[in-house]
Amino acid sequence: MDRGTTTAEGYDAVTAEVIRSRMETVCFEMATFVSRTATTPILNQSNERNATILDGRGRLAALSVGIPQFMLSSTLPVRFCLEFLEGELYPGDVLVANDPYTGGGHLPDFNVFSPVFSPDGEVLLVASIQCHHGDTGGALAGGYNVHAKDIWSEGTRYPLLKIVERGRERRDVILTMRANNRLAGFVGDLRAQVGAAQLGAQHLDELVAAYGADAVRDAVDTTIEDTRRRFRAEIAEWPDGTYEADVYVDSDPAGNTDIHVHVAITVAGDQIVVDFAGSDERPELNAWSTFGNTRGYTIAQLASLVDPSIPKNEGFFDCIDLRIPEGSCLNPTVGKPVSAGTHHPGVEVADAIAIAMSRIIPDRCAPQTYKYGSPRQMWGAKDPRSGKSFFDHGGEVNAGWVNAVRDVDGWGALVASNGNLIKASAEINEALFPHILRGRDYRTDSGGAGEWRGGCGSHFVKEVRTPTDVNQYVVNQRHLHPGIAGGRDGAPDRCIISEGTDRARVVAPSVTEVRMETGDRLVYDFGGGGGWGDPLDRDPQSVLEDVWDEYVSVEAAHDDYGVVITGSLEAMTLALDQGATEVRRAERRATP
Amino acid sequence: MTGVKAEPSSLTYRIGVDVGGTFTDVVAIRSDGVIVLEKTPTTPADQSDGVLDGIARIAAAEGLGSTEAVLALTTSIVHGTTTGDNTMIQMTGAPTGLLVTTGFRDEIEMRRCYKEDIWDPGLGPPEPIAKRRVRLEIDERMTAEGEVDTPLDEDGVRAAARRLRAFGVTSIAIVFLHSYLNPIHELRARELVLEEHPDVELVSLSHEVYPKPPEFERTSTTLVNAYVGPPIVRYLGRLEQRLRDAGYQHELLVATSAGGVATPDAIGRLAVATIGSGPTGGVVAAGRASVDAGLDDVVSVDMGGTSYDVCLIRGGRPELNSDWNWRHRYCIALPMVDIHAVGAGGGSIVHADGTRLLVGPQSAGSEPGPACYDRGGTAATVTDADLVLGRLDPERFWGGRAALDVSRARAALEAVGRPLGLDADETAVAATRVVDAFMTDAVRRVLSLAGVDPRRVDLCAFGGMGALHATAQAAALGVQRVLVPRAAPGFSALGLVSADHLVDLTRGLIADWREIDVDQLHALGCELEATARVQLDRADVPRDRQVLDFALNLVYPGQTFDHPMPLSFSSDEPLTRADVEACVEAFHRENEAARLIEARAQEPMVRGIRLTATGLVDRPAEAQLTAVGEHAPRARRRVHTGDAWHDDVPVHDGSGLAPGPAIDGPALVEYPFTTLLLRAGDSATVLPNGDVLVTVA
Repeated sequence: MDRGTTTAEGYDAVTAEVIRSRMETVCFEMATFVSRTATTPILNQSNERNATILDGRGRLAALSVGIPQFMLSSTLPVRFCLEFLEGELYPGDVLVANDPYTGGGHLPDFNVFSPVFSPDGEVLLVASIQCHHGDTGGALAGGYNVHAKDIWSEGTRYPLLKIVERGRERRDVILTMRANNRLAGFVGDLRAQVGAAQLGAQHLDELVAAYGADAVRDAVDTTIEDTRRRFRAEIAEWPDGTYEADVYVDSDPAGNTDIHVHVAITVAGDQIVVDFAGSDERPELNAWSTFGNTRGYTIAQLASLVDPSIPKNEGFFDCIDLRIPEGSCLNPTVGKPVSAGTHHPGVEVADAIAIAMSRIIPDRCAPQTYKYGSPRQMWGAKDPRSGKSFFDHGGEVNAGWVNAVRDVDGWGALVASNGNLIKASAEINEALFPHILRGRDYRTDSGGAGEWRGGCGSHFVKEVRTPTDVNQYVVNQRHLHPGIAGGRDGAPDRCIISEGTDRARVVAPSVTEVRMETGDRLVYDFGGGGGWGDPLDRDPQSVLEDVWDEYVSVEAAHDDYGVVITGSLEAMTLALDQGATEVRRAERRATP
Repeated sequence: MTGVKAEPSSLTYRIGVDVGGTFTDVVAIRSDGVIVLEKTPTTPADQSDGVLDGIARIAAAEGLGSTEAVLALTTSIVHGTTTGDNTMIQMTGAPTGLLVTTGFRDEIEMRRCYKEDIWDPGLGPPEPIAKRRVRLEIDERMTAEGEVDTPLDEDGVRAAARRLRAFGVTSIAIVFLHSYLNPIHELRARELVLEEHPDVELVSLSHEVYPKPPEFERTSTTLVNAYVGPPIVRYLGRLEQRLRDAGYQHELLVATSAGGVATPDAIGRLAVATIGSGPTGGVVAAGRASVDAGLDDVVSVDMGGTSYDVCLIRGGRPELNSDWNWRHRYCIALPMVDIHAVGAGGGSIVHADGTRLLVGPQSAGSEPGPACYDRGGTAATVTDADLVLGRLDPERFWGGRAALDVSRARAALEAVGRPLGLDADETAVAATRVVDAFMTDAVRRVLSLAGVDPRRVDLCAFGGMGALHATAQAAALGVQRVLVPRAAPGFSALGLVSADHLVDLTRGLIADWREIDVDQLHALGCELEATARVQLDRADVPRDRQVLDFALNLVYPGQTFDHPMPLSFSSDEPLTRADVEACVEAFHRENEAARLIEARAQEPMVRGIRLTATGLVDRPAEAQLTAVGEHAPRARRRVHTGDAWHDDVPVHDGSGLAPGPAIDGPALVEYPFTTLLLRAGDSATVLPNGDVLVTVA
């Protein structure tokens, strides 16, 4: 009875499982604490908060629900701290960091974390919570200055600050941070994070007290080893070889075109090398994805390709040899601006990996990405109802860029990995801002054709009720969201400001401070998801169903799927012409 | 379970009927306080067969001869039905169509971007209630101020109604933007639909189902309502008729997911309110039991065969949650008892994965069941582990109706443990530790969502396996007391009988609190009160038993989900700005207490007014037990209590327990359908009503 019944010390597999489960719950408790206490919409409304637990070496041990690429990238700032402040960390300390050049993604993401010590004074675990804030100081409100020439005009960098030292809040630090932010709620939200990190550390202290430091250490090792073993077993199934892909961003906000991401993935046994050599290095770019950001998208995309039940931890990173040339757009030298690049070419990293891997394991290879440019910002001096100024960050629901995977058509609004981002509603936003949302229906034929069809993008129309200024950056107009395994690309994005007036302006790639007059409409057609597999292999009955539901038109059924449909939707007489379909498909196959 | 026979003619009955997945529980409370429990197999095709059979069994147990005889003496019947949930599980609702404001046809698919698993791109969509072809757009629009922006296209509504009819649609949901502020378009559209499609079974208007923003929550809730409404109405109509034919003369009351009851008439308009009502009876009963035992905040833990349901109950009232409630992959935004279910129970399968020993979420169910049932199941389960550890009596399980096979349990556990180097006993201990930790984490998550420290609550454990695992969980949580109600089987049906009538209504109104029109707010509150009174009056609740609690829904700018704050309100006196200010002040204070120090830096938005109207139900008098001088165990056996094996652990008969000296662990208290495990250091007290309160070591 020595194994399986151990109570206070010693290692066994059961204790490891119990500790692993408890650590995931601690992450949940930290994330929940922030949601309950923060006031900034982006924190408590959209679930954009990511809780993680790391070990004393900065290895990821556990995480909670959030956004995959951010949860998986939150380790580097902590690791930087553990090295930089080695020997200078104490129980009760809480630290804050947001610097993209010491492991972060972009300035609005603030990491707040607190170390937990073993009885012999060694850092055993770190409780960490990362949240996206609405401002970072800098030249432009909102934390997203996509036109910045360097990092300093984007906002204030905090590589590392002790915001709480041995349990005492540092008033000088709070004062400084408050002075460098435009938002009244900033410090409140930061304190919500501090409270969450303290709560996490307290629960982890209890865990160490209950099981002992050695058991906790062993549990972390076991759970990481378990993930490593399961991930490696999947990699070992993949055929050895090198698989490459090239992906482009139309343009950065400054107008530099065709930003190039190249990846070469080499599978050798149960190891993979992911190498971005050959990616864009033009110094004049203003879109740069930091090392931490590139790493996060890489691991998140790879994680989506394997069994979703594998616990997410450092075991994933251990199997991947990641090579990102310094100075490239995916690993910039210190000082480059990163607001725009966090998204583009950040997400194209994941697109490239999905395309490269689709050559060997196509079934689940859907890019877990989106093609938002910057947040759409609309503001004005006077809401006619209240007489007050307003600033709308444009966080409403839209649909776009959901790829199909084998056996499942693209569906819903956004990809699975963004499934925790709960977006704003028309009814509430119309009460807050002087506009009317005229609609956001799916666009017929916008989903990429395929044996499994890509999800449709939405046709989004916002009418302003008062003169309003707008900033907008649009990608995915020329280089499109990719189809996989023979599936077609999704339809492009397109945005027109003041459509139908003599002020009408197509956004390509970006506009700043364009004035819309009362009654003008901003029309944004969001792009579709890529299809999966050859459209000529799609079940004609499914195509007919799609035509009934206007995801696909009769014409596109014929042209893209080779499916001949007679009758009309209006008269409710749609029918499949089986014979004509077979003829049409045979022709299409003969002359691709 | 039948108590002392009394002269039948002098007695009346109140009956609770709880339809479960396997059994239908029928509880009758006699006016002298005696509780009669019967169980009968659930009849899935038509649940009313099981209900009538259960009532017939009550009649037989009471020596009344016929169903008619017992129904003639019955003053109320409260019914918990799973018809709505089954309709959603099997997707067998009415052919349903949807009319929406132009531009918002795809709200139900977009789901505010929510998806259930962020790691799984292979997860497919839910089965549609209304495919896109029967979601039609109507030109009409209200502004956020409730003014007509685009008039209703009446011809468009007529054409849409004809088209839905041609598609075979028999139930129609109408969801127009901002209808909660101005419902004239929805109301007129219903008239037009009824003219064009007179055979339609139900037209459900969004402002009647969920009169508040946002549009997705309202769309989803209204659509589900239209879908499940017709089958539920048909079922309740059939049941009412059968009861009336058998001589029942009072109103049939139906349990709602908010933990209350409502009349079939109200359910006819809001059938969606019954979805998720299954486990609420037990939670309501746990609330009552915890108040009786003098406990304050408790967490109810209901561990059955396949699931473990956790609910926070404060001051005897289960916590309700509105808005972001998901059931059967649809958002049902009405207030629901906030029960969190995880896949852990007696049937949960113990399995090994590499170096890890895991329990669940797969369950062996009741067929074939755990290995020890000897019904063809070979999987090792939590029940097998408890049996091998001596915690269950193989001869007395399930009231002695089924003998358990220890050797099969042992063999199954051995097979799982072998690759990990564990023998059967070790595997059993490990499995109980893993499942206890899993359930403990579920409790922690529920408490963290509410911001409650586990050390400040007590547990109330029920369900077939609840009391067996509760003491270990309590110790892990730092909880000091566990209440084990004696009526563990049939507990849920018992809860139904004592559930209050509940009408929960909200009206949306959005404005900065400083600019809110207090007269408009007052008018909305009066409307809510009038609506609630009609429903409570119809359910025969006297006015002096009607309790109205008003609240103002507040948020800080940008927050998504409403926070109701109690509002002082009277329909007789005008609402003042000071009343609103008091509410806002309380909101600030609550946020400051939650460490949100900058709360006052922002001005809250009002999002609506809410009324929770309660019709108080008289509680059945309970028989009080006479104290005894000592507890004599009926047996002793060897038991592993989690930390070690103990020889000669005393086993008490729970059914015969009366107040007396404390029972100290290690010990077992066995009831016909459940067992309480006391570990070394635990100490149990029998309360005057027969419930057991355990002080945890």
